[in-house]
Amino acid sequence: MLKNFCGSPEHSVNRRAFLGSTLGTAAAMTGLNALAEPALAAELKKTQKRVILLWLAGGASQLETFDPKPGAATGGPFRAIPTDVPGTHISELMPQMAKRMKNTLVIRGLNTKIADHGGAAKIMMRGRRDEAGIRYPDLGAVMAREMARADSQVPDYVTFYTQTEGRGMAPGDPGFLGARFGPMELTTNNTPDFIRKLESVSDLDHKERADLRDLLSKQFVKGRSLGETLGSHNEAYERVRGIMASEKLFDINQEPEKVRDRYGKSQFGQQALIARRLVEAGVPFVRVGRAWWDSHGQNFETHAEMVPELDHVMTTLIDDLKERGLSNDVMIVTLAEFGRTPTINASLGRDHFASAWSMTMTGGKAKGGAVWGKSDPKGATIVDQEVNASSLFATIYSALGINPHKNYYLGSRPVPLVNPGTEVIEDVIA
Amino acid sequence: MAIPAPDKFKSAKEVSRPVHTFAIAKNGPIAYLGSSDFKVCAVDLSEAKPEVKDVHGEHLSYVTGVALSDTTLVSGAYDGKLVWWDIAANKLIRTTKDAHAKWIRKLAASPDGSRIASIADDMVCRLWDASTGKLVSELRGHQEKTPHGYGSMLYAVAFSPDGTLIVTGDKVGHVVVWDAKKGTQLASVEAPVMYTWDPVQRLHSIGGIRSVAISPDNATLAVGGMGKVGNIDHLEGKTRLELFDWKAGKALAEIQSDKFKGLVNRLAFAPDGSWLAGAGGAGEGFLSFWDVKQKKVIREEKVGNHIHDFAMSKAGSEIALVGHSKVIVFQVA
Amino acid sequence: MRTLCLALAMTAFWLSPPVLAAADLPPASLAIFDVIDQQIDHVMKANDIKPAAQADDRTIIRRLSLDLIGSIPTLPEVEAYAASTDPQKRGKLVDRLIASPAYSRYQGAQFDVMLGYAGSGRNRGTGALRDYLVGAIAENRPWDRMFREMMLPNESEAKQKGAIEFLKPRIADQDRLTNDVSVNFFGVNVSCAQCHDHPLVKDWTQDHYFGMKSFLARTFEKNGVIGEQPSGVVKFKPNKGPEKTAKMMFLTGTIVEEGNQGSPIEKPKPGKNPPKEKPGDKVAPSAPSFSARAKLVDVALQPENADLIARSIVNRIWHRFLGYGLVAPLDQMHSENPASHPELLEWLARDMATHKYDLNRLVRGVVLSKTYSLSSKTDSESPPGAQYFAVAQLKPLTPLQLATSLKLATQDPATFHGLSPADLDKKIDAAEKSSRGLANLVAQPTDDFQIGVGEALVFSNSDILTREYLAEGKDSLLAKLKSEKDVKAGVELMVKSFLGRAPTPVESEALAAFVTKRSANPTEAYRQAMWALATCPEFRFNY
Repeated sequence: MLKNFCGSPEHSVNRRAFLGSTLGTAAAMTGLNALAEPALAAELKKTQKRVILLWLAGGASQLETFDPKPGAATGGPFRAIPTDVPGTHISELMPQMAKRMKNTLVIRGLNTKIADHGGAAKIMMRGRRDEAGIRYPDLGAVMAREMARADSQVPDYVTFYTQTEGRGMAPGDPGFLGARFGPMELTTNNTPDFIRKLESVSDLDHKERADLRDLLSKQFVKGRSLGETLGSHNEAYERVRGIMASEKLFDINQEPEKVRDRYGKSQFGQQALIARRLVEAGVPFVRVGRAWWDSHGQNFETHAEMVPELDHVMTTLIDDLKERGLSNDVMIVTLAEFGRTPTINASLGRDHFASAWSMTMTGGKAKGGAVWGKSDPKGATIVDQEVNASSLFATIYSALGINPHKNYYLGSRPVPLVNPGTEVIEDVIA
Repeated sequence: MAIPAPDKFKSAKEVSRPVHTFAIAKNGPIAYLGSSDFKVCAVDLSEAKPEVKDVHGEHLSYVTGVALSDTTLVSGAYDGKLVWWDIAANKLIRTTKDAHAKWIRKLAASPDGSRIASIADDMVCRLWDASTGKLVSELRGHQEKTPHGYGSMLYAVAFSPDGTLIVTGDKVGHVVVWDAKKGTQLASVEAPVMYTWDPVQRLHSIGGIRSVAISPDNATLAVGGMGKVGNIDHLEGKTRLELFDWKAGKALAEIQSDKFKGLVNRLAFAPDGSWLAGAGGAGEGFLSFWDVKQKKVIREEKVGNHIHDFAMSKAGSEIALVGHSKVIVFQVA
Repeated sequence: MRTLCLALAMTAFWLSPPVLAAADLPPASLAIFDVIDQQIDHVMKANDIKPAAQADDRTIIRRLSLDLIGSIPTLPEVEAYAASTDPQKRGKLVDRLIASPAYSRYQGAQFDVMLGYAGSGRNRGTGALRDYLVGAIAENRPWDRMFREMMLPNESEAKQKGAIEFLKPRIADQDRLTNDVSVNFFGVNVSCAQCHDHPLVKDWTQDHYFGMKSFLARTFEKNGVIGEQPSGVVKFKPNKGPEKTAKMMFLTGTIVEEGNQGSPIEKPKPGKNPPKEKPGDKVAPSAPSFSARAKLVDVALQPENADLIARSIVNRIWHRFLGYGLVAPLDQMHSENPASHPELLEWLARDMATHKYDLNRLVRGVVLSKTYSLSSKTDSESPPGAQYFAVAQLKPLTPLQLATSLKLATQDPATFHGLSPADLDKKIDAAEKSSRGLANLVAQPTDDFQIGVGEALVFSNSDILTREYLAEGKDSLLAKLKSEKDVKAGVELMVKSFLGRAPTPVESEALAAFVTKRSANPTEAYRQAMWALATCPEFRFNY
């Protein structure tokens, strides 16, 4: 008999509700048959939170965005401007965000220690390092798992990463949650691979052969227990037509010209617009990777070029979601592997820096206008309210209505969503 | 007095600074510097151990341009302001608060001292009356956005030695030659190689034209920047010089260094046009001399600092360079 | 000279329940399959569980073929087996399959998935380590020798070529190396114990983690060769108390004392300008007079400790064929997670150890048991838990199995008729080699595996199936069907080729209707019908 590790009452409620007939094996909980329970379905629908992650790949400089230090010897040439939150200043490169800081939570206290792209990207997508024996699911996979509907006609986790630099360092990864919660990766173009029917196959054939497949499947399933793997196989095919139908979600031309113009012609803007379409249709998580901020040389030129674009895209998203009544349900997150050094090198660049940097959350239950974490006048260290990757993720989950201390199960081993002992920063949750 | 040959220059003096120096103006022993501490300062380079002294701290950001007209010292910064300072009386003359809508990149004084030219990322070159501070003309010939849709930068400006022409050069490689008096466009040339846009790997740009100069006979236009680069997050392209017969609109030469990487931030012809000096850098810095007629480099010297600007004496016998952490004086022995 | 003294410190940290006395176990002389069936039966009876019926012949040959050589049987083989009245037919089939070259290719690939270093995006089932494993399986090399060869590779020996690829990619990350050795050879995942005594498992403390690490920490890699320092210790900071120096300690608690252990190990720092290679630089430095890593191998194989390695490989082989371990998960073999059938596990481990760690012997014993040949179908409303082995587990096909089988299923079955074993193997090998493209688009199954919608999209909308599998070239099933006038006969041939059985009346009717409706273009009709067969669960799974 396998040892039963569970203990918390919340867990026992979930087990009752979620586990089907394969109770004897300590199978991982899945959302697969969750919605057989109408009460739970209603609950999920009511609280379905979604995330758009603006992944500033390469490490955008906090000194040229959300934690400027003008006047410091290493503060750089850009000044700070006041915002609609008294006492809070951000870089002059973000004049539009300056009018929306009261909707935005800024965390300036990040000290995440790891400053190589690969290692840092893994940690900042998961909130923790992998252990030798465990591959943890990243934020997208967790969102897919928590918020996806079993019968969903849309993908659960979409990531855009068009540029080649750094792409391999931060792929989406469902870890032990499995392929069901893996990302749909969009790289070479903005529409998923294999989403369109082949020209050589008629629509009738496409449908009717699937019906044949279904018939054969029914024959097979008779008398066999619908365990997880078999169930997922059929579910994958059931979802194909729906996912194919969602092709239109990825088509930016479905939006009126006025809206497209608002987001602008940049790749970042267009992908952000697609992200909005996706979350509006119920996709729980979309990551828009904007590479590549790694300004080892000419940091100020690069940020003068890229930060205004971020400013524009972010504010357009915030406004658009607000106008559509989605601000409570959709959280916009800006995050990266790390920030950049205060020290300016001879090529007028800034290098990797994980000791004092910033991220933001807008929407969901993130407390707008709040600032958490203080760096010293130079921006070299955190002097107050330091945040590590673990507590950051606990806070993100909490702001999305997810209990960060809940357990997933890897076989029979309970795996909490965040490392044990991690605390949520309650002060920044609305 | 004969103009010294490039090989005669030797490094004579170095002054270390804890800040980055972006601009230098010098007319006599005293050099005026614009720096990253938002200050304008002065240093007497004729002294054995020169000391840098503050002149003023009127600016709110990096001081990227300084220019001298008689006893008027003009400075421009990322704050978009021009500060006019009387160096004899040591007091503020005036502040032009909204000289430019965006970050000022450089200043240049006309050879006769009557005009001050300023350039900024609002892509306008403005000409000011050096004694009254009034705006004389606006030179608009550069696109505000790059062809890829991003805000552009106007990095380079210079007067011809006889003061009749002004040259401006921008991020995407567009160079305009102006009639300094009338404020009209005379010609333009393109040096697009100096602008690297990377759509595949990193989706941003680097480079641009960083320096311009016109030969004393007004015939040859020199343009400095960086050659094509693979990793645009580093200044790892070769330093690049292009020469034009600007009147004919003809490209004369493209000279890239095998020795140095990075930007050519400042160019200046010898007073008799017999050579062209240039300085700049990446992780390190360089001072180079070219023979423009022969279209080749004469001398390439490593200097220990990425150089942002230099001032050449009227006799062409001294070059005072400023950069990342030093002031370096090259002199003819 | 340092003196070595081996302290057999039997601490309280057992990694297995007290070893069962021989008297508690079935006699050693019994056949493996009999002991398996007895023990499985015994536990079922004790829990009032009825097993499923035995699977039919067509299912058995399919299962055996997939499990042993990694592809479905060809139709002639299936028909011959189903028709045969030879009471020994199953044993003979097993012998034939194990003897075929495809067996070592497939088992080698499976071991490579288990042991290979999963670098990001690396395509497993290829490479030097796999070649080594295939070679070792081909000569049924004992497992303890394979263990030794992978832990102490001798690159100058031809038969060990590639074995070094187990260690080499892991050396840079000592923690990864420590855990991978523990997991792969001993079924023990001590990674949690790196930072603190395992919160849930009393057996695994920081001493165990760092004890294992101490055997491995002196190993280094430089310029492509592996060496080992003669001394060096691992220090660690336990949760409570001051910094400790770890002793070399095996997972059972056996400690290796060493007179002069030397100073803390520093990783050789890569210089900014690595020295130019001199001729002879690539030769590995000779082993030190005291090799900690060799000591680990010795200690692990000592009779009193060998239980661990034996039970682990037994569990792995069991899991590979039965789809579920006697201990689950595979890397949680400890006293608080006992086997579902402790006596069986113990007996099989002993059998393995007393028969020179003969892998094929165990494989043969497992696949000849009645337990193995149970059907995966059951009448029960709520089937019993997997740990009773009362019903056969469904196993999703690995990428290579799926693609190779698809290649075989889409060939005209007549081309397999009357082939010698050598010629048949040639065809299977050709199918394997030409199916890498599709195999790369499919994920490698793990425990609790889920198939994502991505796979369904690939199969639905990629043209790889049409181009590489459903083409109407020479010898293809499609070409054969195109010329078949009798639709029902065509449908039957198609279903038999894919599924090894005749279609049910309902299936036959539906498929025939589909094809007939498209009589204007019979090629396309059959092609699309074959798509349904290629993507149905009966093809996708090993049942």
